[in-house]
Amino acid sequence: MTAPAPNSSAAPLLDVSGIAISFGGLKAVQNFSLQLPRGSLQGLIGPNGAGKTTVFNLLTGVYQPQAGSITLDGQALRGLKPHQIAAAGLSRTFQNIRLFGDLSVLDNVRVACHLRGSHSLAGTLLRTPRYVGQERAMTERARELLALFSLADRQDEHACNLPYGDQRRLEIVRAIATEPKILLLDEPAAGMNPQEKKALADLIRTIRDRFGLTILLIEHDMGLVMEICERITVLDYGIIIKNGTPREVQTCPDVIAAYLGGASEMKGTETRR
Amino acid sequence: MGGFATVLLVIGINIVLAVSLTVVNGFTGQFSMGHGGFMAVGGYVAAMIVYYGSLRLWGSANFAGGFLSSASGDGAWLAGGDVLFVVACLAAGLAAAGAGYLVGLPSLRLKGDYLAIVTLGFGEIVRVVLQGTAPQIARSKADVVRETPVWKLATHLGGAQGFNLLPTYATLFWIYFAAVLTLIVVYRLKMSSSGRAFLSIREDEIASQAMGVNVTKYKVRAFVLSSFFAGVAGGLYAMYLGAINATDLGFQRSFEVIIMVVLGGMGSISGATLAAILLSILPEVLRAPPPVWPAGLALLVVMVIIQKVGISFGLTRGPADGIVLNIAISMRSLRRSWKFKPLVIVAGVTMALETARLVCLQQQIDIAQYRMVLYALMLIIMMIVRPEGLFGVREFWDYLPRRRAHSPSGPVAEASA
Repeated sequence: MTAPAPNSSAAPLLDVSGIAISFGGLKAVQNFSLQLPRGSLQGLIGPNGAGKTTVFNLLTGVYQPQAGSITLDGQALRGLKPHQIAAAGLSRTFQNIRLFGDLSVLDNVRVACHLRGSHSLAGTLLRTPRYVGQERAMTERARELLALFSLADRQDEHACNLPYGDQRRLEIVRAIATEPKILLLDEPAAGMNPQEKKALADLIRTIRDRFGLTILLIEHDMGLVMEICERITVLDYGIIIKNGTPREVQTCPDVIAAYLGGASEMKGTETRR
Repeated sequence: MGGFATVLLVIGINIVLAVSLTVVNGFTGQFSMGHGGFMAVGGYVAAMIVYYGSLRLWGSANFAGGFLSSASGDGAWLAGGDVLFVVACLAAGLAAAGAGYLVGLPSLRLKGDYLAIVTLGFGEIVRVVLQGTAPQIARSKADVVRETPVWKLATHLGGAQGFNLLPTYATLFWIYFAAVLTLIVVYRLKMSSSGRAFLSIREDEIASQAMGVNVTKYKVRAFVLSSFFAGVAGGLYAMYLGAINATDLGFQRSFEVIIMVVLGGMGSISGATLAAILLSILPEVLRAPPPVWPAGLALLVVMVIIQKVGISFGLTRGPADGIVLNIAISMRSLRRSWKFKPLVIVAGVTMALETARLVCLQQQIDIAQYRMVLYALMLIIMMIVRPEGLFGVREFWDYLPRRRAHSPSGPVAEASA
């Protein structure tokens, strides 16, 4: 599939510069910078415990960065609350699936649609035509999205009763329903078999093209990352060790050392901590 | 009949309380133990407005209502007293909502047990402050009331003796008016996008934030709304008893309401309503237990009918129809013995209760003496057998055949993608 070439002359959609956070003595992420051009598909990889999910948590406001700045489309995001960041156009999925288990599949998506509506208490209680119309539009949109991801026939099931693959997919649908500019996917392929991973790769590309999204992807499956990402950032011990195209990353000695250092490196980490 | 009417009034007030607490404890999953406190705030505000208001306006705190408030009225449907009463109840709700806002604010940081302790503390503060107020100004001293400024009247709330000798306006009409209003408001809320935002907070706060739900705002909203109705219930309670005493509205009262919410199922409006009805009736019924077998038999018949309906609904969904298929399906469902588990349980419980009752009659044991023990025992059994409450998070109609997963905008039109 041919991806639209990111326009390098325009300012990047997401501009992260020098964000950092430490927990006590542990410097989880240091001096993390990243420029995401509009429509790009970027990978974020690194060994376990490298700080990838922490970066996501910093970007989405779950943690507050202790230094640096985050700018999305000219809007400064640092210091905003998670829901404000979601409103600004940054949406995410979770590594450990965080669906609203006791709500139906449809309601999971409708919660996310909530963001782009107005909700006066009076309108809700009096069921004004405006409220009813909005509610209907929201349901319609949620159904369309579910249909697009072939989840339409499961819309009335409790989210916790879906099979694992569907739950992962529903997380993505839910994130897209907030109408984001940037989608952060945290290990979407975890626990999937090769066929499912193949389907997921296609899905991610389709999402990007169809919704005009910019995607930042954390993934451990190198095959998937190398296949779909245009650029890859490699993180180790909270520091960026390489930023480049898949080919550059694959041949970079630092990256190979970080990964193939494997067992001995991990032991070293534990004692250091 | 008088006793029966009283139970009906208590049921109505308990419905308002339980359904409103569902918004906080059931929908947003916060654990509030301050419902008694909000009720007390509302009750005292309403009592003050009606009592001192009557004295100021008409020089006497006697009943001045119309037909709706007395049932033996003198023709007029509404009179000045009724208007004062309704205004007082609204003010009670608003005052309690204000208190709910203040308590809701710390709940931004606190979760679970910690919030429970904060709300418990709030309830106790309200109780102690109200018990420390100055004595009530007597009914005969209307001129004193007229001369005292309003803010000073608010300190004469009767202290430890409670606020007494109120005119009683809260009739069945007003209490059930409030109950129905509460049910409509809370139901519409649950089925709206705000309601889904509430529920998403209960399910997963972090994911909820990430999806753009302003968790803080919605938590406070839940608190404010819930305490508004608790305040109204407090006003109704004071005006039905003709007296209000903060001692009765301590944490024990809060717990009674929490039990109703938990028993009904966290987040289920119909569950909370049913639990409010059952738990209001139960202590009265246990005073002199009537024979249970007629009710048990009726319940069995209803359950059999519902199951039959379920089978015939299954038929319409089937690939083909006809009598042959009908019989085949019935036979299959007969063999699936789990379907009859509820029937066996109901029959067994009925027989056990009936036996126990007869034994007590034979041995001349007075069950009424043990009624609170039995009440508590039933709660314990209920929690062991069905910890998710009567209906879980759903409503009772979700259990009827073919009415699963309710959505406000009707059934699905499209299925194919």
